[in-house]
Amino acid sequence: MFFHNLKYELLINLRAPALIAWLMIFPIFLGTVFKIGFGSIYETVDSFGSIPTAVVETKENEIFRSVVESVSEGDNKLLDVTFTDEENALRMLKDGDVKGIIYSGDKVTLTVVGKGIQETIIKSFIEQYNVYADIITDAVRNDPARAQDVIAALSADMTACREVPLTQGDPDHYAQYFYNLIAMVAIFGSVTGLHITETNQANMSALGARRNCSPTPKSASLTAALAGSFIAQAVCMTICVTFIQFALKIDFGERLPLVYAAAIIGGCLGVTMGFFIGSIGRLSSEVKNGIAMTVSMLCCFLSGLMVGNIKGLLAEKIPWFNNVNPVAIISDCFYCLNIYSDFDRFSFKMISMAVYIVVFTSLGIILSRGKKYASI
Amino acid sequence: MQVFNAFFKVLRSKLGLALIYIPVFIAMTIGLTFADNGGGVFEQERLNVCIFDEDATPLSSALCDFIGKRNDLVPLENDRDVIIDALYYGCVDYVLTIKSGYADKLSVGKTDELYESMRMHDTYSTVYMTQMLNEYANTVSAYIAGGNDAITAAGKAGEAMLKDAEVNTAKFDDNSGAVLTSTAALYFRFLVYALIGLTMSTLCPVLLAMSRKDIRYRTNCSGIRPNSYTLQILAGCVIYIIAIWAVFVAIGAVMNGGVFEGAQWIAVLNSFVFMLFTTMLTIFVSSFDPSINIINIITQVISIGMCFLSGVFIDQSMLGEGVLSAARFLPAYWYIRVNRMLEGSEPFDQNTLVLSIAIELGFAVVLAFMTLLIRRVRYGGMTVHKAQTSAACITE
Repeated sequence: MFFHNLKYELLINLRAPALIAWLMIFPIFLGTVFKIGFGSIYETVDSFGSIPTAVVETKENEIFRSVVESVSEGDNKLLDVTFTDEENALRMLKDGDVKGIIYSGDKVTLTVVGKGIQETIIKSFIEQYNVYADIITDAVRNDPARAQDVIAALSADMTACREVPLTQGDPDHYAQYFYNLIAMVAIFGSVTGLHITETNQANMSALGARRNCSPTPKSASLTAALAGSFIAQAVCMTICVTFIQFALKIDFGERLPLVYAAAIIGGCLGVTMGFFIGSIGRLSSEVKNGIAMTVSMLCCFLSGLMVGNIKGLLAEKIPWFNNVNPVAIISDCFYCLNIYSDFDRFSFKMISMAVYIVVFTSLGIILSRGKKYASI
Repeated sequence: MQVFNAFFKVLRSKLGLALIYIPVFIAMTIGLTFADNGGGVFEQERLNVCIFDEDATPLSSALCDFIGKRNDLVPLENDRDVIIDALYYGCVDYVLTIKSGYADKLSVGKTDELYESMRMHDTYSTVYMTQMLNEYANTVSAYIAGGNDAITAAGKAGEAMLKDAEVNTAKFDDNSGAVLTSTAALYFRFLVYALIGLTMSTLCPVLLAMSRKDIRYRTNCSGIRPNSYTLQILAGCVIYIIAIWAVFVAIGAVMNGGVFEGAQWIAVLNSFVFMLFTTMLTIFVSSFDPSINIINIITQVISIGMCFLSGVFIDQSMLGEGVLSAARFLPAYWYIRVNRMLEGSEPFDQNTLVLSIAIELGFAVVLAFMTLLIRRVRYGGMTVHKAQTSAACITE
């Protein structure tokens, strides 16, 4: 009986594929929008590159010129310097070609249009030059015998700070929008989950009424409907991950099979959530749909789909919340696979999803168990 | 006015659904407003730095004080996972460990590997802090080489490095300046998402109920002309949406810190015109009679897609030229342009402002005409006529 029902569940999805098709189209469309929108923001905005700077020499200052030239050479140069006149420098600043203008003369000053990290770095560079110049001048004036030692100390290789890389994964934090997109597709599986109760409850559809009259045990029809929805959702999730990984070239790391597994289990979580919402009370289909959509949207919002740093804020203020938000749990799986080399946290997230699936399914079955034709 | 009255009758029956969506969208818009750190406007750069002081000596404390004067010190649990999360989500810009033995090494002029920084990738923040820390060590070392003891050297280094360089701000546009408070500007920015989402989610069920086959066939049999029918529906929709919009504008006034004044009303006008667009978009989409599930997915695609491309969720200044060129074909882009002028991120240009609002209105008008056309074709008897013709053909 189960396989007979499962066959027809799958046929329903094949013959009325509008919903499933939209669930496939929507991550493809939004993923493409994300890729176009901020595919290269991390490289252009966040990643370090030499800072374009104009230098206007109001008076000859050989020492400053040589210092500027020394920091604008090599592969890891700090500044990308253009020596020019004031008029051209201002035009470059206005057009955004440079981040600041350094005026060098008796005094070194900076002109900027705003204050960001790049402007702060140029300012810090000038301040350090001033500090070094003051220290050397003082040493020569007060204690010439120690001046050489002072200059040697200032010229020492800068090795005070050792950098410890934390991860071998892709640190592009914009990738989390794609993780959240997959999580959103998964949680939108709730729409297919709602469909299960809709087609099994006599007061919600003609099909539900017919099924309630039939001799098929409710357990058989419900499990078959759940299995059918799991399969349909798994197909959606597989297409979604494949598109994002291979067409949009978003790097999930080297553990791709686990990415697929997490996405599929996330999809099943979404289906069971919909099944649970659908089983609550005798609300109309529209209201249940509204509840499922608002819960899903709110979870997506709190997981950082719209503003990326919200998950970090919540982790700081309410640390437990990201462990109960289903969308955050799903998107965290991809984050853990990308960033962490071990599986501890990933395993915890997968177990959390499994617990949610069991709880939602159990509650859904308990709530819909007593709903015979006569009791509705 | 029969259709108009029927519209409100159906609307009343769907109010429960609207009451589920409205508080959620209000909460999300307010949440978005306060969650965004206002990346579009440059401010004095203070980094969030977390320091683990393993040395715990007066010298290491002097370094902590020095860092804390120009940055914000953030406490974090010394756990690798917590640190990774904080760095990845941008809650912390830099994590520094002052290694044990820092004071002893620095006192004898050794500056190698005094501290460790944990990082995800080379960003401007990490480069800036690493460079500053290296320079601090060299400066302290130079003062010690100049004959000072370590504590005095650290004090002098800190004092010297905190002297500000002279920085001038170039002003190229005399008429740039914020009209709205930053909170109100962010609120009106994120209002785009709420207006699209809320209009489509709450209005579509009403429109779909109105165009249900049995009701539609009955209307087609009546004497009401298709255009009159559509216009009455349109009027009902606009009145309903104005009520919702008024609620959001009232919240916007709270965000603004009081009733709107002078040029601030432009933000209200801008949102009103955008609301007209979302109403037309909703009527247009529902003209195709999709199911409620599909409407929900279409709503997400349109609202999230348009918001990302137009600079609602990510500031326009961070989007590439190509993206912005494509976004010009979306009304939300023009809405955000006006909002940016009002928040002072773009020079206030009256012509651009009028043009932007006119383009938004243009989108609404085009959608209204397209809706009239589609409804005329779908419900205005043409379909019935076609069906009759087909039936005739079969009979023959």
